[in-house]
Amino acid sequence: MLTRTSRTGRSRFRYAVPAAVAATSLVLAACGGGDGSSDGSGAPKADALKDAKGVTTVSFWHAMDGKNAQVLTQLVNEFNAANKGKIEVKPTYAGKYDDAITKYKAAIQSKSTPDVIQIYDIGTQFMIDAKQAVPMQEFIDRDKMDVSDLQPNITGYYSVDKKLYSMPFNTSMPLLYINKTLFKKAGLDPEKPPTNLDEIRTAAEKLSKKNGGPADYGFGAAIYGWLLEQFMATSGQEYCNQGNGRTGRATEVNFAQDTNVAVTTWWQKMVKDGLAANTGRDTKAAQAAFKSGQLAMNLESTGQLGGYSEAAKQGGWELGAVNYPHVKAGETGGPIIGGASLWINGANHKDANKEAAWQFVKFMVDPKSQATWHTGTGYFPNSKGALNQPVDVEYRKNNPLFDVAVKQLEGTQLNTATQGCLLGVMPQSRKASEDALEKALNGADPKQAMTDAATSVASQAKTYNDSVK
Amino acid sequence: MSVAPTADAGRSRRTGSLLAFAYLLPALVVFGIFIFWPLVKSVMLSVQGTDILGNPSGFVGFVNYSKLFTDDGFLQVLWVTFAFTVLTVLPSIAIALFLALLLQSRIRGVKFFRTAFALPFAFSVATASVIFGVLFNPASGVLNGLLSYIGVGKVNWLTNPDLALWSVSGATVWMQIGYNLLVISAGLGALPDDVLEAARLDGASGFRLQRSIVMPLITPQLFFLVVVGTIHSLQSFGQIKILTVGGPEGRTTTLVYSIYEQAFANNNSNYGYASAQAMVLLLIVLVITALQFGVLERRVFYR
Repeated sequence: MLTRTSRTGRSRFRYAVPAAVAATSLVLAACGGGDGSSDGSGAPKADALKDAKGVTTVSFWHAMDGKNAQVLTQLVNEFNAANKGKIEVKPTYAGKYDDAITKYKAAIQSKSTPDVIQIYDIGTQFMIDAKQAVPMQEFIDRDKMDVSDLQPNITGYYSVDKKLYSMPFNTSMPLLYINKTLFKKAGLDPEKPPTNLDEIRTAAEKLSKKNGGPADYGFGAAIYGWLLEQFMATSGQEYCNQGNGRTGRATEVNFAQDTNVAVTTWWQKMVKDGLAANTGRDTKAAQAAFKSGQLAMNLESTGQLGGYSEAAKQGGWELGAVNYPHVKAGETGGPIIGGASLWINGANHKDANKEAAWQFVKFMVDPKSQATWHTGTGYFPNSKGALNQPVDVEYRKNNPLFDVAVKQLEGTQLNTATQGCLLGVMPQSRKASEDALEKALNGADPKQAMTDAATSVASQAKTYNDSVK
Repeated sequence: MSVAPTADAGRSRRTGSLLAFAYLLPALVVFGIFIFWPLVKSVMLSVQGTDILGNPSGFVGFVNYSKLFTDDGFLQVLWVTFAFTVLTVLPSIAIALFLALLLQSRIRGVKFFRTAFALPFAFSVATASVIFGVLFNPASGVLNGLLSYIGVGKVNWLTNPDLALWSVSGATVWMQIGYNLLVISAGLGALPDDVLEAARLDGASGFRLQRSIVMPLITPQLFFLVVVGTIHSLQSFGQIKILTVGGPEGRTTTLVYSIYEQAFANNNSNYGYASAQAMVLLLIVLVITALQFGVLERRVFYR
């Protein structure tokens, strides 16, 4: 309610905000525009913090809860302790990714964006179009910072025209998880796990209860659009046009293209033949089914590795994790990274805050911080250096399956397909692909369902693109 | 004292109405800010486009409204809304009525049962939905656990497109029963003893007494529950968000959930289109309420 009314009272804020932060002329310029066109972004001078009096407070909105939030707070505390008397970061949980971005939009309208915000991968194009942020590249160039230690496949996602817009923070990758114990019971060799869809089906036929196998269903994964995006990438296909939105503004998604239809058809048939469970869209439902040994194979992110290992230990079965499958044999593509990144807001922010925010962001991707983050949460470390930290080496010794993800990332060639699609309506597009997959799993024609979904996304993309012209 | 009585009366009438206005002002301000202004704002938004940040992007006429009629999904939304309302309002009143009549009997422990049956009223929608989510879980839920004893295989309560709306409605009925039971019980408790006694003397008893004497006497309560329950159902959101997220295949996407999706979910900020849907909701509530007052109320027996 408050955000609604504040939008209507924009004219009042136009005076209130400059009054509060009259120190910089940038702010006045930004407020004159109102549409964000004169966004006032740009990296401040490197000594912007020197003139700041007292403690510079950095507001930081994030979307982490539970254990992840604890580790995040730990990192923030470390940073604050090291910068005592100069910078203080104040983290705020802004809800899940979708909620955080909704709040952020309201904050843009009331000119009260946080200094730093964590935004999900698929919000990247939106963030660029919102014109609030200082591209990370400007800080990097200014400081001539060496970023070669960051994993190129990770920075690749957040780079547009070779310019890094945001700093990757929490990264995950998809894997194929297998229940080795069930594999053995079905007479399959768990050391020769499936690598493509046909092989998953062959294994599922032996594993499923329907054919006298040890699992309720050989395979099962949530109706999660991210997984479809991954299949397109591993088979070397682009998800949306204009080189996955990397060479120009994307206007269409390639849902109706053969690979995606083949995946959907395969999945539909698996469900129809009783070889795969349809647990719906709730990712937790599929996770629970795999943890309890009802499923022998499951597609999930590296983020589940910890939970799955724990479940395997308690349930007395052996967990395996292998590369995300290809659609057909002989394909060489790899998966796209997922997760979120940190954005520094420039519009209506003082130079001292931008600079303090940059110090904080640098700290968060520091190999030592990333090692703490990785080992505490199970997210993928962004820098190669993090993998060499003693705590990280120790962690991977205890969790050897994580090396599968590391090797998978290092073995993935960076191209437009594995960079992932950059699309203003990417969150809507993911939802549309889920709608279509769900329809197909419940019996609709895969090609038709995907074609319809693509048409709907194209129309949404047009509305979006027209409004940012 | 020397002032003429007429002028005095006029002044006191003026101060009287001023005073009345002053008393009404706080309520008016609150209503104005939280009800009337958003309503006006919604009307304004519904004839405008929306940019990617959710700012109105200019007058577009009735484009948002015409989109409603060309959008195939919207017809389904209306149908789901209708079905959900029917599936929740009538059963929740019927079950509550049945329980309330049973609780009239003077058996031992009736107080315990009354409390137990009214308890759902004390649960928030969110809490109740989470609990139902656990019960509905196809793998570990109690419902499928019980069904497995009688040899029924796994039922996908929330992911089967033909079943999901029934499951969500069932959960909603449970949430509604407590409140309905309290209202009906209050009505039953206030029945005039002399009327009941006279009916008994005339030989009415059992079902006949309930149908011809008790039921007409509690029609005001039942009418109230139908009106309030309908509006409540049309506005339900929490259980859908928590249990099904509007799925599967949009089969549990009611009008309110659709408004939410257009305005706030998946990085959408189609406030224009969402506001047009909100206007449709307003219209539906108005029409149904008017119909209920016009048709149903004639059969209500006010003492």
